[in-house]
Amino acid sequence: MFLELDQKSSNNIALIDSEGQQATYGDVVAFSQLFGTIFPLKTLIIVLNNNTVGSAMGYLAAMIERVVPLMLSATMDGELLKELTDTYHPEFLWKPMDMVQGNETVVLEKCGYALVPTGLEPYPLYEDLSLLLTTSGSTGSPKLVRHSYNNLEAQARNISAFFDAKEDDKPMVDLPINYTMGLSVLNSYLYAGATALLTGLNPISPKYWEFLKTNEATVLTNVPYYYEILKKLRFFRMDLPYLRIITQGGGKMSDELYMECAEYAKRTGKKFIPTYGQTEGSARMAYLPAELAYEKCGSIGRAIPNGKLYLINDDETVITEPDVVGEMVYEGPNVTLGYAVKGEDLILGDERHGVLKTGDMVKMDADGCFYIVGRKKRFLKLWGYRVGLDECENIIKSAFDVECACVGDDERMRIYVNSEAELDTIKKYIASKTNVNSSAFEMHYIEKLPRNDAGKILYSKL
Amino acid sequence: MKNCEKYRNIFIERFSLEEDFDVKKIKRYDVTDWDSVGHMMLITALEDSFDMMFEMEDILAFDTYENGIEILKKYGIEM
Repeated sequence: MFLELDQKSSNNIALIDSEGQQATYGDVVAFSQLFGTIFPLKTLIIVLNNNTVGSAMGYLAAMIERVVPLMLSATMDGELLKELTDTYHPEFLWKPMDMVQGNETVVLEKCGYALVPTGLEPYPLYEDLSLLLTTSGSTGSPKLVRHSYNNLEAQARNISAFFDAKEDDKPMVDLPINYTMGLSVLNSYLYAGATALLTGLNPISPKYWEFLKTNEATVLTNVPYYYEILKKLRFFRMDLPYLRIITQGGGKMSDELYMECAEYAKRTGKKFIPTYGQTEGSARMAYLPAELAYEKCGSIGRAIPNGKLYLINDDETVITEPDVVGEMVYEGPNVTLGYAVKGEDLILGDERHGVLKTGDMVKMDADGCFYIVGRKKRFLKLWGYRVGLDECENIIKSAFDVECACVGDDERMRIYVNSEAELDTIKKYIASKTNVNSSAFEMHYIEKLPRNDAGKILYSKL
Repeated sequence: MKNCEKYRNIFIERFSLEEDFDVKKIKRYDVTDWDSVGHMMLITALEDSFDMMFEMEDILAFDTYENGIEILKKYGIEM
């Protein structure tokens, strides 16, 4: 069974959420059996996630019963959701009860969630396809990452090994489980038989801390920006004796904040574990062992157990000497099958065969620790969330009659448009579509975009 | 500039509101940009502007325009 969930003590609590709901491992398995009776054949469903017990129960039941969930945020923009539904034809939606409309039929209910048929004709699915995630959660790009069952099992096993996850662990799952890193926390700790603390709250809410403290959370996993907030909240002075691990992924932390986390861990006897990953590698691919956090500041460390990392040149030859920058390649059982951009792609098999070119430009030191120096692919990580630059251009161009080019770094996206009058409107529009705070977007007026003879935008000139 | 004016301007600027916007009624999450990112920026802007530092409890409790005024008064800032 998925994550061997039926091998855990059935009376142990698997899920607790900040709405006051909980479920044991026995409840999860029992619900999956009921859920399975509705699905005689493998099919696709959309899970509109809000990080509650109800949402996780639907996800787990689907995984156990080999129904493929496409995980999306419950707060996702309605038009983008419609686009994804039209593209991939899910047979059912698993969504919060309060999102069910009067004319919709509910075929199953659990913990505030309902299963609603769409009436759409499903596409044929590849036998080993287990799960679909978006590459760019916020922009709702129709491009999806196709996972196999082994991807998720291997990832859960390997991550719980290097985090030394135990039955008495209680990790905070406040990153959304429709996001690869949030899902990986849930999977790896359930594999260990632990109790996942699910919440949609964030650390500026008093209830977040109440939830964390009442349940005595043992692990925090989040993006660099989260630790910026924690620093501001004087987290590093808080007394949280039950906390064992703080871990970070989803982008590069500033050296200063990194050292602060490392020092906090050292002083309080906890572990600070920076990690590196992406959706295409079912979340984590590298981690820096806690004991190296000090001396290897800013490094993403080495490959996770059962994985391999190396660098290649432009001509794809492998770089063997240290301190040379090249594109990082990862090999391991957690490398996903490939992408889907349309319904017909859901039947595709494994296109990567365990090898992933990460698109990150990286160097390795003499001790075999890797350091990210740049990025090849056209996306940014704004507040830790991946936002595609080309997708943003398309969103803007389809709503406004403008020429548009997006560039920038992980601090800020710079958007160039040829309409001075609409700068403010476009800024508000892209912030609302991507669900990213508008301070991340810097608007620029440009009369004409720089292009080469073939008409391609010269991003380096912006 | 009076403190209450300074306070109001920070909201207008931080959350890109219209000059004549009725800020008095706004709550956290009512305004799109007042999310966790926007909140930390607001807190930093207020700390810089009033030369003070909020305690954690106050950063968490600060969730409306009105109660922000009460919180600032606790730090001896006349509003």
